[in-house]
Amino acid sequence: MSIPTADHPATLETTTTRWHARSTSISDTVHQLALIWSGAARESQTAPASATERADAHGRATPDEGRDVRVRMRTSVLTLVVVAGRPEIAERAMSIVNALASRHPSRAIVLSPGDPDGPTTFDAHIYAACHLSALSGAEVCTEEILVKTGGELSQHLATVVAPLLIHDLPVVLWWPGDPPFASRHFRDLAAASDGLLVDSGSFRDDGSGGLRGMSAVAEDGHSVHDIGWMRLSLWRELLAGLFDHPLLTGELGNARQLRLDFARPGSAVRISKAACFAGWLAAMLNWRIDKPLRADSDSDRISGAFRHGRKVIPVEFRPVRAGLGPSMQTAGSLVRVELELAHGRVVTRARVTRQADHLLATADWNGAQVARRAGRLEPFEEAPFLAESLDRTAHDPIFEMALDRAVELTASL
Amino acid sequence: MAAGKTAKPSATAEARPKGPPARTQPGTSPAARSRDALHVYRADTSTEPENPLRAGTRLERIPQPCILVVFGATGDLAQRKILPAIYNLRRAGLLPPESAVLGFSRRSLSDDDYRDLAREAIVAHSRVPLEEGIWDDFAESIHYQQGEFGDRPDFKVLEERLEQVDAARGTHGNRLYYLATPPSAYTQIVGNLGRVGLDRQQEGWARIVIEKPFGHDLGSARDLNDAVMGVFDESQVYRIDHYLGKETVRNLLVFRFGNGIFEPLWNRRYVDHVQITVGEDLGVEGRGEFYEQAGASRDILQNHMLQLLSLVAMEPPIAFEADALRDEKVRVLRAIDPSWTAARVRGQVVRGQYSAGWSADHKVVGYRQEPEVPPDSRVETFVSLKLEVQNWRWADVPFYLRTGKRLPKRATEIAIHFKQPPLMLFRDASTNPEPNLLAMRIQPDEGILLRFAAKVPELGLDVRSVNMDFTYGTSFMKDAPEAYETLLLDAMLGDASLFTRADEVEAAWGIVSPIIDQWREWDEAEADGTGPSEEEVAGTLADGLGTGICAYDAGTWGPAAADELIERDGRRWRRL
Repeated sequence: MSIPTADHPATLETTTTRWHARSTSISDTVHQLALIWSGAARESQTAPASATERADAHGRATPDEGRDVRVRMRTSVLTLVVVAGRPEIAERAMSIVNALASRHPSRAIVLSPGDPDGPTTFDAHIYAACHLSALSGAEVCTEEILVKTGGELSQHLATVVAPLLIHDLPVVLWWPGDPPFASRHFRDLAAASDGLLVDSGSFRDDGSGGLRGMSAVAEDGHSVHDIGWMRLSLWRELLAGLFDHPLLTGELGNARQLRLDFARPGSAVRISKAACFAGWLAAMLNWRIDKPLRADSDSDRISGAFRHGRKVIPVEFRPVRAGLGPSMQTAGSLVRVELELAHGRVVTRARVTRQADHLLATADWNGAQVARRAGRLEPFEEAPFLAESLDRTAHDPIFEMALDRAVELTASL
Repeated sequence: MAAGKTAKPSATAEARPKGPPARTQPGTSPAARSRDALHVYRADTSTEPENPLRAGTRLERIPQPCILVVFGATGDLAQRKILPAIYNLRRAGLLPPESAVLGFSRRSLSDDDYRDLAREAIVAHSRVPLEEGIWDDFAESIHYQQGEFGDRPDFKVLEERLEQVDAARGTHGNRLYYLATPPSAYTQIVGNLGRVGLDRQQEGWARIVIEKPFGHDLGSARDLNDAVMGVFDESQVYRIDHYLGKETVRNLLVFRFGNGIFEPLWNRRYVDHVQITVGEDLGVEGRGEFYEQAGASRDILQNHMLQLLSLVAMEPPIAFEADALRDEKVRVLRAIDPSWTAARVRGQVVRGQYSAGWSADHKVVGYRQEPEVPPDSRVETFVSLKLEVQNWRWADVPFYLRTGKRLPKRATEIAIHFKQPPLMLFRDASTNPEPNLLAMRIQPDEGILLRFAAKVPELGLDVRSVNMDFTYGTSFMKDAPEAYETLLLDAMLGDASLFTRADEVEAAWGIVSPIIDQWREWDEAEADGTGPSEEEVAGTLADGLGTGICAYDAGTWGPAAADELIERDGRRWRRL
């Protein structure tokens, strides 16, 4: 056990106080945290009055010190638990968490499970920091705990996390990579959390197992956020925006066919994103699943059908390779979506197409282009998506509806 | 809610029956739906055809494309606030690309001249720097039309121009008129809009945004309302008070109605009194001429302070939407007795005017020495008053309000002072605890402070008041949008929650106007030498605070009479 140390690199704008400690047991980790914060509280009592300090109502000086007693407060909004399967993910997660710390003052616990067959080990680094902004007087305190486990303990991460949670605050579990949804190890951690953040873009195989996994977590009442789904926002927004055109809004009930092209840079065919997108359209437009997706025997296409009332709406997923450029090497990324609608003789085609990092949406109504929209895809970074899911820890009902249909659509794959 | 759900979508406002707008979309909770069904009368926001794909996307917060027509397009407000706000909304992708701006003003400018002017305004006043790519795209949407506000043929030309822009850009006939002119031009503009039929909502919607002040007294406010509502329907009118667009003012509602523990205490049983302070450290800053017409009561009290008061005192609205909110706010104002007798004004209102003094570290002149201010001005730069909201919840709970210029600091705060505990158990303690206090700071350092008693460790039973201070910025470090951005977007979306309704404006004037009238009467009497008799002055000293205007040193918290106003009730202003 080492003693927590504080240093104060003073700058003109923000005063940051940092602490670091290391421990080899959970109870010692809890003890170290208590030492850090009790020391911080003592320090703040002797610190000069800050801008946030308020006098009492009658402006009366308190008898002995001539000033108010100030309670140093740590405003925390959540506990974030990250399971980093590999050391480099742990490193990346720590730097993302660090960058978001002041926006979401929280306790972040980054778990880095090591070799399950080795000896049982526990090694924690505790980092705490308080940033006092000279400008606003606001003080934001954050904690990050990096826990490396080895041996059997790596299979019992839920028990590692439990004593380290802040009472009552929501717990968000971020599991980068491909979470083992079916394992007990995952289920225990998910059960201890309120929300789950994953990225369906990094699910294994075709991704349909991951979709079922997310859906099961959502069914258990946890909120689920998926970076893959969030990356579809612009796609949804652009397609939806086309139908704001007064000529087109009424056509939405007349869908005739849906086609989705997705990237397949290597041999892996990952359809989770395309399935979520199709699931979303189905949920919003009240389509049922008529025929779940199946791979065509004579081509690499995957097809199925929706049903809207008595009308059958064929849906086709096409993996594409050509002309993708280096930024589109992710398997399963959407490349193009085309929704065809027909009503009497009126045919409407709404398309969203990816061009490098831009999306272009156009709608033709009886052969004439009536609407056109464009948008830029944000560069792929996890931080903004983590921030977004921390902003909205509540359920995303639209995603859950889309996910349900996507699971049903991919049930036979 | 069935009516609009199955109806064939239509682009015209007229085609849809008034009443519950057809906006229920997937994801709307059943509770919200049934509430809609019960709500019979409210502003018509149903001009949007239904697009189920919008649900859950940012599009729900993106209005339909429209032309923003800025009257007074070359003026200060347009340059400092409106153009930068529109640019920032465009930049953030919150306005559809078809949207357009049409400036209308007396100055003779070409479209390109006006684009240059807009560019300079944005560079100078936008909270984020101008990006060339976005600007090029935005600039194309900016147009200008020269015209006189009082000239009907110019409005005919405006109408034609609007049709051209509409056809070129595809704004579906939606128009938002923004009156960024001096108030004296409002009636002319509204009248001419009506005469050429620009108020009509045939293809799309037509809405009008009016900047405060809404009148300078009750009579003129009524005249303005009559003029506006002779042309537009109330549901088309958006009276903007940028104060209500502030994040923290809206947070006040969330704080009250999103937390279960405060509302049970929010009444006469637990609350001793409420203090509302809007302090400014600045003087009139070269706007002497404007201030001479306004004074603190018109500039701050009638709008900002009474808005804050109604938000603090209102009953929970039945829904978080425009008319339900405004119904409750106006009820608070109606519960304040508007009959101001001379004795009541004398006893419950203090007006002050700053004289020379020290503002922080620099010496400043008195109000009467400010440019454009006459040396014998009797315009108040400070007003402090005691109000009672006479309803079941608040009877006998005084609300003390104070606002002024050249006070020691800029601070806007609402403080709820709770009653003393019924019994003091800690008699031996060297200090008895102060009663609990809940302070909501609107600016600066938005946040919430709760004061409670705690035992001092080890020293017997010494009790001390401690402040638990939550600064909004420490849990959500995010750039809040400018109030004008929020409000412009709301007006385009047809959400009038944060705008003031005609009856609210009149109710607020109903409280403030009689006070100003009484002051004028006293001032005239004093000027004529027919001021109060000696007996009256004696009476004043016995039952009131005086009839005249009290001087206070710049850099202090107002005249001594303001302290007396609250201290004689056994209370004190909270030190800020």
